[in-house]
Amino acid sequence: MNLWRHELRLLLRQRLTVIALALLALLTLSALVAGVAEVNRQRAAIAAIPAGQAEDIGAVADYVDRTKDAGSAAYYSFHPTWDAPAPLAFAALGMRDVSPYIMRVRALGLEAQIYDGDTFNPELALPGRFDFAFVLVFLAPLFVIALFHDLVSGEREAGRQRTLAALPNGGQALWRRRTALRLALLWAVVGLPFIIASAVEGVAPAAILIVLALTLAYLLFWVALAALIGRLGWSSVTNAATLAGAWLVLVLIVPTLANVAINAAIPVNQGAEIALAQREAVNRAWDIPREDTMRTFYARHPQWSNSAPLGPEFHYKWYLAFHQNGDESVAELAQAYRAGLETRDGAGRALGWVLPSVGVQALLTRLARTDLAAQLSYQDRVRAFHERLRTFYYGYLFYDRPFARADFDRAPRFEDTPDG
Amino acid sequence: MSIVRLIAQDELRLMARNRVAVIALVLLVLLTLVAVASSWAHQRNIAELRDRHAHAAETAFDAQPERHPHRMVHYGTFIFRPLGPLAAFDPGVDAFTGNSMFLEGHRQNTANFGDVRQSSLLVRFGQLTPAFLLQVVAPLLLIFLGYGALARETEHGTLRVLMLQGASRAQIVRGKLLALSAAALLAGAPAMIGLVALSAQPGALALPMLAIAVGYAAYLALWAVLILLVSALVRRSRDALLALVALWAVAVVLLPRVGPDLASAAVPLTNRFQTDVAIARDLRTMGDSHDPHDPHFAAFKQSVLDRYGVSRVEDLPVNYNGVVALEGERLTSSLFNRYAADSFAAQARQSGLVEIVGLLSPAIALRSLSMAAAGTDFAGHRRFLEQAEAYRYALVQRLNRLQAEAVSYADDTATDAGADRRKRIAADSWQAMPDFGFVAADGAALAAGALPGLAIVLGWLALAALLLLRATRRLGAH
Repeated sequence: MNLWRHELRLLLRQRLTVIALALLALLTLSALVAGVAEVNRQRAAIAAIPAGQAEDIGAVADYVDRTKDAGSAAYYSFHPTWDAPAPLAFAALGMRDVSPYIMRVRALGLEAQIYDGDTFNPELALPGRFDFAFVLVFLAPLFVIALFHDLVSGEREAGRQRTLAALPNGGQALWRRRTALRLALLWAVVGLPFIIASAVEGVAPAAILIVLALTLAYLLFWVALAALIGRLGWSSVTNAATLAGAWLVLVLIVPTLANVAINAAIPVNQGAEIALAQREAVNRAWDIPREDTMRTFYARHPQWSNSAPLGPEFHYKWYLAFHQNGDESVAELAQAYRAGLETRDGAGRALGWVLPSVGVQALLTRLARTDLAAQLSYQDRVRAFHERLRTFYYGYLFYDRPFARADFDRAPRFEDTPDG
Repeated sequence: MSIVRLIAQDELRLMARNRVAVIALVLLVLLTLVAVASSWAHQRNIAELRDRHAHAAETAFDAQPERHPHRMVHYGTFIFRPLGPLAAFDPGVDAFTGNSMFLEGHRQNTANFGDVRQSSLLVRFGQLTPAFLLQVVAPLLLIFLGYGALARETEHGTLRVLMLQGASRAQIVRGKLLALSAAALLAGAPAMIGLVALSAQPGALALPMLAIAVGYAAYLALWAVLILLVSALVRRSRDALLALVALWAVAVVLLPRVGPDLASAAVPLTNRFQTDVAIARDLRTMGDSHDPHDPHFAAFKQSVLDRYGVSRVEDLPVNYNGVVALEGERLTSSLFNRYAADSFAAQARQSGLVEIVGLLSPAIALRSLSMAAAGTDFAGHRRFLEQAEAYRYALVQRLNRLQAEAVSYADDTATDAGADRRKRIAADSWQAMPDFGFVAADGAALAAGALPGLAIVLGWLALAALLLLRATRRLGAH
């Protein structure tokens, strides 16, 4: 124990070390504060939904109540959905700054609604967010480099290495002690603020432990790399330059290069095609016999087929039926689009197995439910909710039941339960 | 002069012996070539795809059969944002903004299908473009090459030897600067050659290219000066390297992320939900065309009747439904424009705050210079959004006017079996509608947008040069 205390005193006597540790602690703290603030902003925006929605739907109810027309209710009522941030979202904001977490849908064609985005400033999104994941993945390795690049070479340059080598076992215990001490300090300045923030945000203990283990493993990777380069017997300054070069390659260049390769290898063009095809399918209904539309619809949804036949005048059940037909006509394209996104994402994650920087980012965004999988799962929940909306309005439309003010309260409400 | 050149030659010889630096330089040159080739191919792919989609959308619109004009208002049209030629050099926010938009009546839709939502998580690590390499990688390479230029001489006592041989401090620093500038030139050349190659494309503009070339040259020169400055100020090469890497990390990696975070916290944007609710509220207070007792539309109806000197809408020479549609669209569009202007203003305030942080980090200033000149910054996207809205409004109103003039009120309100046929107008009316054509900003406007960033980078260069002058005078004094 005494030896450890001695090493610690030696270490903390180096100005560079103390400054580096303090700086890393400060950066971690600021990133956590920024992340928590952003997540709180998102929660506040979600909390503000009911008030705005009540006002909006109230006006629609006023209007519809005059005619009791269920079709108008379906057409004019927008229903809110949202994707509340998971407890760990503050640590890795992932895609939450560029993907919508609030989306209103109505019972018309969903394929024309579900790809809509929210307002964000692309210039601010471009460089990426300043969150815990950024500090860990991008910045922490630089601090490992600062603390470890001269671990051995520094002693050699100071002329003490021969003395140290004369210690029992070639001073192995000493190097282990020094390495462990530096690593523990780095881990502590990153990990402790994270534990506090996680406790405040109510993150599950298991998730905290996983992130801490991940942090340690990532730091360990960089320490191992520094030790490996330290063994080559170069000067401190060459070590530092080599390690900084390795950082550049592993954290910036390979991921960007891989991004180009993945996007070229797995083209995803269906997005605009879905939109174009869905709109053709929907609008074509105005030019074909309305009975054709209903036949197609009833064939797929026989539960509504005992509805009365269409009269000569406009009926919203026909309108909503051709919207649903339109969605179903592009279902395959939408599937292919989604599969393309998942393949791209899978390729990116696969890179994470060999590239620690990508692996850590992928794992953190998965744990924080801010990755593409989380976005797609939100879309699935919106799809399920939209299905319920359709069933709800069809129950009025296909049986010509009036839609009164009280019926607005019977409409399905979105319940946000990410992954169960 | 010959002393300066000798020192420069000597320094270059030493650089060539620095394995890490040489490998990094070769890597940078290779990467730049890959980046130029791949972003060019990517950009041409995108341009081809968007062009094909735009063409398909226009053809589909023109090919619509006989329809009621209001059906075409809802059929709407898709437009695609084309990329300027310089986007291959710096795609800017292109991946972060949607590039296709559905335009229809009564609604203002978002631009969808941006790359950022359809790429793997790697897209957030940065994009391999010539601009990214010059902004981020090239300075680090120069640091590897030059950190020891003066610190090494001080550390080993060779500075004194040089001075005893008759070299002045200024000559030594000038020689080192010359060597490092040569390296910077070598590092920046492939990207600049790529930039010039882009000028072979039609539509590339001389002024913004000049702004980009001057901006990046000044940026790399700034790093060369900064490196020598730090190398002159510290006593040991290792300290110089660590200080420079730290400086690089703060200026190039950290501040560009912190700035936007501060800006988005300081100026919150109204989200789409709140905007939609607010627009609906304003619309209700302005006038509700569905409500027969609405004061605005009652007054509007009276004014239309008065204009034509009739007492019933049935007697109007135009279709009153179409006239109401024109008025309704006018009202909603004025609201859309007002809320869009508010949102644009808030985003401009955010970007302005980032620009202030850019005073601390020349990397931010350079990035905004580069995007502005390439026409790929938010201003460029906003230009697209504004033109899209103007086109949407003109198209919808053209269709509404057709409803007012080519469909009779009697037919429009009829519900008998044959009414649907009578309400439709000839299919060639759709072909007469003009297609959307994005008008890109001209070269002078793009270059003007780059000026603030350029001023900041040049200001930094001047400041760093002054500091280097002072440091030179005290070189080796400690």
